[in-house]
Parts: sequence; C-alpha cells; structure tokens
Amino acid sequence: MIKTIDLKKTFTGRGQTVYAVDGVTASVSPGEVVVIIGPSGSGKSTFLRCLNGLETFTSGHIVIDGVDLADRKTDLNKVRCEVGMVFQQFNLFPHKKVIENIVLAQMTVRKRDRQEAEEKARMLLEKVGIAEKEQEYPSRLSGGQQQRVAIARALAMDPKIMLFDEPTSALDPEMVGEVLDVMKNLAREGMTMVVVTHEMGFAREVADRVLFMDQGKLVEEGTPEHFFTAPREERTKLFLKQVL
Amino acid sequence: MTFVILFLLAASLWAATKKIDYTWRWNRVPQYFLYKAETFEEIPFDGRILSISSVHGDSTVAYENESGEKFSIVVETDSLRVTEGEDLFDGDSIGSNSEWKAGPLTMGMLMTLWLSAAASFFGLIIGLVTGLCRVSKNYTLRSLSIFYVEVIRGTPLLVQIFIFYFFLGTVLDISRVVAGVSALAIFAGAYVAEIIRAGIQSVPKGQTEAARSLGMSATQNMIYIVMPQALKRVLPPLAGQFISLIKDSSLVSVIAITDLTKSGREVITSTFATFEIWFTVALLYLLLTSVLSQLIAWVERRLAVSD
Repeated sequence: MIKTIDLKKTFTGRGQTVYAVDGVTASVSPGEVVVIIGPSGSGKSTFLRCLNGLETFTSGHIVIDGVDLADRKTDLNKVRCEVGMVFQQFNLFPHKKVIENIVLAQMTVRKRDRQEAEEKARMLLEKVGIAEKEQEYPSRLSGGQQQRVAIARALAMDPKIMLFDEPTSALDPEMVGEVLDVMKNLAREGMTMVVVTHEMGFAREVADRVLFMDQGKLVEEGTPEHFFTAPREERTKLFLKQVL
Repeated sequence: MTFVILFLLAASLWAATKKIDYTWRWNRVPQYFLYKAETFEEIPFDGRILSISSVHGDSTVAYENESGEKFSIVVETDSLRVTEGEDLFDGDSIGSNSEWKAGPLTMGMLMTLWLSAAASFFGLIIGLVTGLCRVSKNYTLRSLSIFYVEVIRGTPLLVQIFIFYFFLGTVLDISRVVAGVSALAIFAGAYVAEIIRAGIQSVPKGQTEAARSLGMSATQNMIYIVMPQALKRVLPPLAGQFISLIKDSSLVSVIAITDLTKSGREVITSTFATFEIWFTVALLYLLLTSVLSQLIAWVERRLAVSD
C-alpha cells in the first residue's frame, strides 16, 4: 500500500546540509499498523510528512497505492484525499464549529452534498465519542476532544491510509487514553495506519510492526515482540533502556 | 477627573477667545446644513385672477388669460400676493413655494462620505489583490507588489493627488472626482495590502497543513481556511486604515472637489465665522469616523463567537 525506496530529504541552511531522512526503504501493507519510534530529531515526523506530500523529498520514491509521488505529473491533492493525517497540534479550524470542521473538506473536495456530509460527520463524531459537541467551537473543547475531532475530520474523507504525527504528545496525561482508545478501535477495524509516537504501550499493544529510526536512518524494524524483548542493534537497545 | 480636565481646557479656550474680541455666532451655522429655498410662481401672460381657495396653508389660485382659457396654480397662503378679481401683467408674481434644501455643509459631508466609501471599497479590493500577490510564490507578482507598496508609502498623498489630477487626469482625460477617488483608493490599497499580508502570515502554518492534508487545493485553503481567519485578525488595523482614509479624503479639496473641507472653506468666505465652521467641520469628521469605528467594533464582536 505504501512503499518508499531510498527516500532522502535534506535541509540546507547556514552552509550545512542536514539529512533529515537518509535513505529509508520501507513498506506498509494494507490493514497493517506500523509504529515509528525514535529519539527527537531522528526524522520520523519528516518521514511521515513526506508520505502525504506535506514535505517535498530530495530523492528516492514514495509509491502510494500504485502512484509515485516523485512523478511530477502526480496530482498531490488526489493522493492526499486517500491519506488522512492527524497532527500533534490538532490543527482544527478555529473559526468553524466542530461539525463544519468535518463537513468542509467533504463538500469542497469530495463534492458531497451538505446532508450527506453532515450525516457522515455525525456518524464519525458518535464513533469517536463526542456526538454532543457538534455545535461547539474547537476552542471550547479539551485537547483530547479536539484531537478526536481531528481524527473524525480525517476519517470523513474515507482515506485508505491514516498517518498520525505524535497525536498524543500535546495532550495532558489524563487525555492520552481517550485518543489512544479511538486509535485502537480504528486499528481493529483494519485501517492501514502509520503512527509516529512516544507511547511505547500503544506500540506494544497495537502495532503489527515497529520501525526504529535514528539520525534519518531506518535502524531496525520488526514485530513489537521482537523489538521490545530482543532488539538486535546497539542503538535500539540504548534507546529502549532510556524510555522504558 | 477626566471631565474636570476637559472642562478646564474648554474654559481656558473660551477665555482666550474672549481676549481677542471674537464674537461667536453659532446661530449662523445651522442654515448651512439645511435651508428653506423659495421659488416664485409667476404668471406667464397678461390675465385676471378668478378665485382663490385655501386649504391647510396652501392656496389654489385660478386665473385666465385674455382669450378666456383657465389655469390654476398652488402656492403657500402666507406668500400670496394677489386678490380675487385682480388684473395681472406678464411676469407678475402670484406667490411662492418653499422647500427644505440641503446646505453646503450637508452636501460636503455627503461628498466626503461618498468619496471615502468609494475609495475604501476599491482600496480594499486593491489591497486584497496586492496582499495576496505579496505572499505569492511567483517572483514577478511578489516584486511588483513590493514596488507598488514602497512607491505609494514613500510619497506624500498630497503629491499623489496632484499627479493623479494634473498628469493622469490630463493624459487619460478623467474627471476630478475619478482622479480623487483613484488617488485615495490606490493610496489606501498599499497600506491595506501590508495589513492583509500580515494577517495571512499570522495564521499558523498548521492550518494550511491540515487543509492541504485533507486534499484541499491551495486556492480552497486560501478561501475557506486562511482568509476568514486572517480577515478576522486584521479587522482592528483595517478599521484604523479606513478611519485615516476618511480624514485623508480632506486633501482632495486641493483639486477643487467640494468635499466637507472645501464646503467649510466656502461657507467661511460668506460668513466670516471661521472658528465656528472649522469646529463644526471637525465635529462632522468625528461623527463619520466614530460611526465607522462603532460599525467595525460590532462586526468584531460578532466574529468573536469562536474565540
């Protein structure tokens, strides 16, 4: 479903070249939940943002559902419809009510009529457990509720893949659970997910595969069982010793 | 405390004018807002008054000419100058009708209002377009908009008005009002453009990322996500800009557009009530600007519901 081949992303500034993503080759199959972990600045978020074209990459290929993002003729907007994204900072539209947040892209991008879009929005709000907040503005919601709205907003586009960029990092500890629960349900329903997170518990419980990145490189990958109990690489062992 | 200080200030001003022997004649001012204009009704031929009937202060006068054709006319009873059976000659006055007419100060204020409204409207459009060009990825659009903003901000409005009227007005053969409005609009547009640019750049990047990640195009993102938030943020500075525009519109009086300032000057030449008229003119500008700022404050309150 997703395939990256020797993906490289470099930033140049002040005469220095930084390899944010340095030759990552990975793949995600349909229905798989892949969790990417690694220390800060290891390029996990940049890698994730490359996957839906929010970040342009320097070289290599990303093939999503048979479409190569490196091909200049690819319509990125079309690809993005199929790849939902959830951000660390939620990024809800503050000037629109919760329901409008979810309806807007359905109407403008998917060209659904209002009634259909609202039905879909209500159904999704029900699913993430905040149906009663549909007429509120995002600023009146707690962080956890905002993030669940953001998930509903992404799901409303019927994406084939969901990307999560540290979805719980900006939340108060007591709200992390409610967001993770929504994500677990989603995983159980068979959604293809790529999750960048620091929640090791989530990785262990939900992930089909764990990728460990450091300094832009894919250091190790494997099942959570293998990864958390018997890591091969020294760098992985060191990291796990610090976080667990 | 504020009132005490203001009162003392007013009192000292009054004392100062006493000292220079200025006679205040405020009673001369109202007639320049609204006055009664009289039009005299004359008989267009030699003839005779047949009858006069009065109802509610108006009189219907029936008269005939020498060949016996009958006519009638309505005048105000107070102004009636003829009696029944009287013989009249061509051009004799029967009476008069009066009606309320707007004086020069009212007309000037309407002109100022109209000038500022038109200039604000076009200024906003110019500013929006230029502001968008200013943040565009296209180098030509960006540098052209920077050039425009720098040229307009760097030259005095008075000089721009002269250039518009004497140079462009002559070359393109445009009227003084068009020249005045365009000078004001182009002047305001440069400032509005900078305000709009600041507004667009103040919207967090995450908003654009969220919109784009949902598959929206750059244009849809601008229309539905960035612009509504940007406009809400720039409303206070925009209000300030339009208030300045109302005041700056007084400069077009130099190209003989009869706006509030020029009407004030004209009224002074016939009344010599210099102090009164200028105070009145200042108050009228204050009236226009405070109505505008109240209006914008109201819009701001309405948009604040999502905070």
